[in-house]
Amino acid sequence: MTTKNDPTRSESDKRDLRVFTLYEQLLEIEQRLIPTGLHVFGRPSQPAEQTDVLRMIASFDRPEAGAHALPALVAEGLGFVVSQASNSLASPTEEELRQRERIHAVISKALNRLGEDGIDAAIQSLETSANVNALQSRPVFTLLENISRQLETNNEVEALVKALRGEFVPPGPGADIVQNPLILPTGRNTHAINPYAVPSAMAYARAEAVVNKLLARYQEEHGHYPRAMALVLWGLDNIKTQGEGVAQALWLLGVRPVSDSLNRVTAVEAIPLDELGRPRIDVVMTISGIFRDLFSPTVQLLDKAVRLVAQLDEPEEMNYLRRHVQEQVLNGHCDADEAMTRVFSNAPGNYGTNVNFMVMDSQWQTDDTLGDLFVTRKCFAYGRDSRGQAIEGVEARAAMDSALARVEATYQNIDTFEIGITDVDHYFEYLGGVSKAVEKLASNRPAIYLSDTLSPDGKIRSLAETVRLETRAKTLNPKWYEGMLKHGFRGVAEIEGHVSNTFGWSATADAVDDWVYTEVAETFVLDQEMLARLRELNPHSAHSLVSRLLEANGRGYWDADPETLDQLREIIGSLEDQLEGVA
Amino acid sequence: MKVTVCYIGSSLLAPLRNAERELNRDYNLDLRIDAHNFGSPLSDLEWSEVDQGLSDADVVFVIHVMDGENAARLMPALEDYKARHRAVIVINCMPELMRRTRMGRLDISKLMRSRGSGEIGEVSEEQESAANGAKQKTLSRQAVQMLGTVGSWIGRQVRSKEPNGKPVRHGHGQYLKLIDRLPGILRFIPTAGGLRDVKHYLNIFCYFLQPTPANIRSMLLYALKEYVPDKRLQKAKIKIPPPDQMPSVAIYHPDASKLFESFAEYRRWYEKRSPKSKVQSPMSEKPALDPESTIGLLLMRPQVVSKTTKHYDALIRAIEAEGLSVIPALSTLMDNREAVSKFFVNDKASKVQSPKSKVEDRKDFGPWTLDIGLPTDRSRVSQIVSLTGFSFVGGPAMNDSEAASEFLQRLNRPYRSAVSLDTQTIDSWRASQTGLNPVQAGMQIAIPEIDGATEPFVYGGIPGSGVEPMPLDDRCVRFARRLKRWNRLRTAPRTDISLALVLFCFPPNKGNIGTAADLDVFPSVWDTLKQLEAEGYDVKLPESADVLRDMLIGGNAESFGSPANVAYRMGVDEYRRLCPYVDEIETDWGPSPGRVNSFGRDVLIQGLQLGKVFIGVQPSFGYEGDPMRLMMARSGAPHHGFMGFYTYLSKVLNVDAVVHVGTHGALEFMPGKQVGLSGECWPDRLTDELPNIYIYSVNNPSEGSIAKRRSYAELVSYLTPPIENAGLYKGLATLKDMMLAYRQATDELERERLYQVIDEQAQALHLASQ
Repeated sequence: MTTKNDPTRSESDKRDLRVFTLYEQLLEIEQRLIPTGLHVFGRPSQPAEQTDVLRMIASFDRPEAGAHALPALVAEGLGFVVSQASNSLASPTEEELRQRERIHAVISKALNRLGEDGIDAAIQSLETSANVNALQSRPVFTLLENISRQLETNNEVEALVKALRGEFVPPGPGADIVQNPLILPTGRNTHAINPYAVPSAMAYARAEAVVNKLLARYQEEHGHYPRAMALVLWGLDNIKTQGEGVAQALWLLGVRPVSDSLNRVTAVEAIPLDELGRPRIDVVMTISGIFRDLFSPTVQLLDKAVRLVAQLDEPEEMNYLRRHVQEQVLNGHCDADEAMTRVFSNAPGNYGTNVNFMVMDSQWQTDDTLGDLFVTRKCFAYGRDSRGQAIEGVEARAAMDSALARVEATYQNIDTFEIGITDVDHYFEYLGGVSKAVEKLASNRPAIYLSDTLSPDGKIRSLAETVRLETRAKTLNPKWYEGMLKHGFRGVAEIEGHVSNTFGWSATADAVDDWVYTEVAETFVLDQEMLARLRELNPHSAHSLVSRLLEANGRGYWDADPETLDQLREIIGSLEDQLEGVA
Repeated sequence: MKVTVCYIGSSLLAPLRNAERELNRDYNLDLRIDAHNFGSPLSDLEWSEVDQGLSDADVVFVIHVMDGENAARLMPALEDYKARHRAVIVINCMPELMRRTRMGRLDISKLMRSRGSGEIGEVSEEQESAANGAKQKTLSRQAVQMLGTVGSWIGRQVRSKEPNGKPVRHGHGQYLKLIDRLPGILRFIPTAGGLRDVKHYLNIFCYFLQPTPANIRSMLLYALKEYVPDKRLQKAKIKIPPPDQMPSVAIYHPDASKLFESFAEYRRWYEKRSPKSKVQSPMSEKPALDPESTIGLLLMRPQVVSKTTKHYDALIRAIEAEGLSVIPALSTLMDNREAVSKFFVNDKASKVQSPKSKVEDRKDFGPWTLDIGLPTDRSRVSQIVSLTGFSFVGGPAMNDSEAASEFLQRLNRPYRSAVSLDTQTIDSWRASQTGLNPVQAGMQIAIPEIDGATEPFVYGGIPGSGVEPMPLDDRCVRFARRLKRWNRLRTAPRTDISLALVLFCFPPNKGNIGTAADLDVFPSVWDTLKQLEAEGYDVKLPESADVLRDMLIGGNAESFGSPANVAYRMGVDEYRRLCPYVDEIETDWGPSPGRVNSFGRDVLIQGLQLGKVFIGVQPSFGYEGDPMRLMMARSGAPHHGFMGFYTYLSKVLNVDAVVHVGTHGALEFMPGKQVGLSGECWPDRLTDELPNIYIYSVNNPSEGSIAKRRSYAELVSYLTPPIENAGLYKGLATLKDMMLAYRQATDELERERLYQVIDEQAQALHLASQ
């Protein structure tokens, strides 16, 4: 594949490349799955709402259902050669685009047939239009039909009533529907997983590709490997993926998990350097209180991995962790045991960074406050010391400060599109919080990445790219906000929540472009008709939204023109009057 | 002489100490028993004690050790002291440890058929030649097979999941069948010759299998007699009694002098219990063993057999003190379905109502083939409480959760799993801010949850100094009361049942009342109320979801400056009288009622009473706007308003259950132990005795699990909203059209022109810089 800067390319080739790169960017937005409303407890979803999600479910291999990914089946049937080497910077050719569009159209047709006339019609459709034989397509259509049927009934309210009658509420897994359709039917008692099964062999295998992409992206942008990274580990994705986030940490360190004879992952072993083919990265893990609780054996495993790698007799340019631990000890920052601490969480029995509360309530004064707060809340060490004594949340601020001071990149694994980085305040409190702490301690803002592992080709994006994508696919997208506004009062609160969470990324990582705020203002506040709707449905949240925009400007995150600011101030005045019953 | 025992569990230490005392008394042996609990990974200090213990032991027992790390440390030590040890007897451990058994000429590692398989092979030639005659040959083959079975079943339990991931369900049944036949076969095996040590192992195993105090004594004496050349042992003319036999499943009761092998027998006894017994106390509303007010308990068999039941006894009595009946069944370690089917299900009725249902061979797990849609009158219990600490089907080495949940679903009775501290002491749990250690949290909490268990209550455990589990009396009482409340939901007339539906509001602001991930709360609550009304609960249903919302955020809210309607003003005096924790809260938040959710001298309770259903608004943490508190590494107590809210629910309204609506609130994140709470933990105090049902997003199993563990919530999952492709809009849609035109254009000039337009449009959309 030719690259962007190839001087031998003609002007028209360069033009094509630019257009197709943009085109790919548009497709990424267009095909991004977003919620188009809220759920109402007990109400089934409409068939019309299912097409996109069924298509997404069908785009993965489902070995448990004996189903192959539909796009691959269709591509094969049509005789297309699908390139596996997709990376975020590649741009498709006209030929590739046409193939993809053809595959898309074939699948759309088959899914329509499935919805209208059932499995046999869908199989027939695929056989005719893409030579896919029934044996191969039946399992996937059977699965889809089954999911569709389950989506069309909903027994949540009955399940609640059953619980209230003192009957058994059956257990069920928890996940995104695309990830694990076995979450259906809902109305069940959701459970976590056996922590000793983490990471699974599958998770470990998938993590390798993600880590390679992550390191490649950093190298491309910085010319070297990150010497130290800070990872955010949550229970959420690790439950749903059987520990992909954990496995990514192990890969960065260059170790593999070892199961005992009862299939429990209780140990780790180092991957030899010649096999690893790159240096071992120093990894600082900030784990949520929830991860700490749900994965306590895994916390021990991660700590074991760090201590193993730190003590390997290897050249320091190939083992950044070992080098850093030695430096920490030599500098007199801490003793050897403390210097090997890399697994940090809250004080025992405590949760959260409070960074979100501080931001939401606009309570911070100086730029350092949020990073300080993050470390204050998260500097408790977990693991076992060199004498085998359990460390159960020992305050280790100096150790955390000195570990974070070496960090060059921060990262969090995201395996879901159902819970995006502006949907909740937890992403910015963690990934934003740790990045802010690094910014001060390392005197440099780290490169911030997120992975998107719930897509067949698992992408790595920078934080700024992710904020833009979320903003375009959701916050500014009429399909999204009109979906929310169907829910009236709550819908306005959701819109305001997204704007505030976006603001959280300004506060912690300065990762929001000016245009985002400008367009939020234009879409929701300066548009008279829209403003009137918001005021009518939920004046309280409308007020919060306008205040947040003014705060973004006041804190220097948004360079708004004076005219816009005047308008916003006028509007907020009138909203206050309305709330106080003056108007 | 010295016997060192490395074991896991809480029932063995007492019989060991007892045996030590008795053997020294009877034979003047100068015997020391050095016992080490391998329940969780050992620190260097603890390990040095084990090493010391192993270094001069005559006989070593290794029992139930199933942890890779401890095993990895133990194996080289056994090798190091090989010359010193007269015998190493490994029972029910992971495969690599099983291979370390060494008794006389028996070397299990040599019997293993293939490396790492954990399987014990065919009879070796040596042993074969030792047996004379065809019958002998058969018996000896059986004996060695038996050894193979007892030596390898744990390894097989695990492997039987492979390669398709589905567990094979008969692994343990085969084991149990052989065990039943064991004593019969052993009688015919000669004590001399090549099979001598095989026989000894199996005899010792038979004693261990029924760990009564007498059997544990015999087990030790047997090993000493056969393997320790000591004059005192030889002179004493020791006769060791045959093993006590105990039923594999039975009903136990602390007041009964024997175990009951049938429900009928138990019922006769239970009904005739002296009037002094608590079950006939005035609190009891129902006749004894009425299925709607009987709790079925599953007990660990070894605990009952070894008579280490103080914790069970206390819990049983606490439940009876609430006016409930009990059926405490002792269950096999591996599969609770047999005991449940036999004692908790009225299978006479099942035969009558479903003549087709087959009663399978008892040894193949009993008659648990229940019909789908089991009629509720067939169950003899209203709730099942497992005290085994293991998965419902599978035991310590694996869990067949699919089989478990299928079985429990058919029975349709709530399944609780309470925790006894078996691998850590009560003292260490009390002192720990973490609560349960990783082994207990994984084994006794995470795995039972997958079976559908709720109420992970700690009710007893091994005391810091002591040899057997003891109850935590306050926890037994709290747990029993919770069970009682759950029961009331089944038995009370619907019109008498009072409920609270609790909504969230975050960040605290009127516009956010009804916060929940992905859920439109007001229509959800309204639909639920409508259903409750239809089910016969006392609900005053507002006209619509919008009316409901207006009532909640309107009402008298303005006059108190509060986000929602104030349903109740709890004066400071009343708050103090009803809530025992006020002093503690005041050290954090100052004098009650404080500044959050208060008005004058009152704590404000926000909500709305609709018939017997209260719609409440949970206060927030209260420190969101307080930078000083936010900057503290450790959060403090809930504020007065928060405590007052839950005090109102449980003490003033005295609701029968609370339903939390949507993902998620603050209660379950209040400070306290992480898992395995005590009465000092805030979430435990707030939840109090209230059954807690939590409407929770299905895509958030992690925070949901915190609610299950820290606020005893039973989750009822809800679906996420419809998801669709984002599509393109406004300028983005225009841009795509331009690009489609570009793609279709063949004329170079036209393409160049379109390119300019595209470039401009992209820049206008801020797509340019990327």
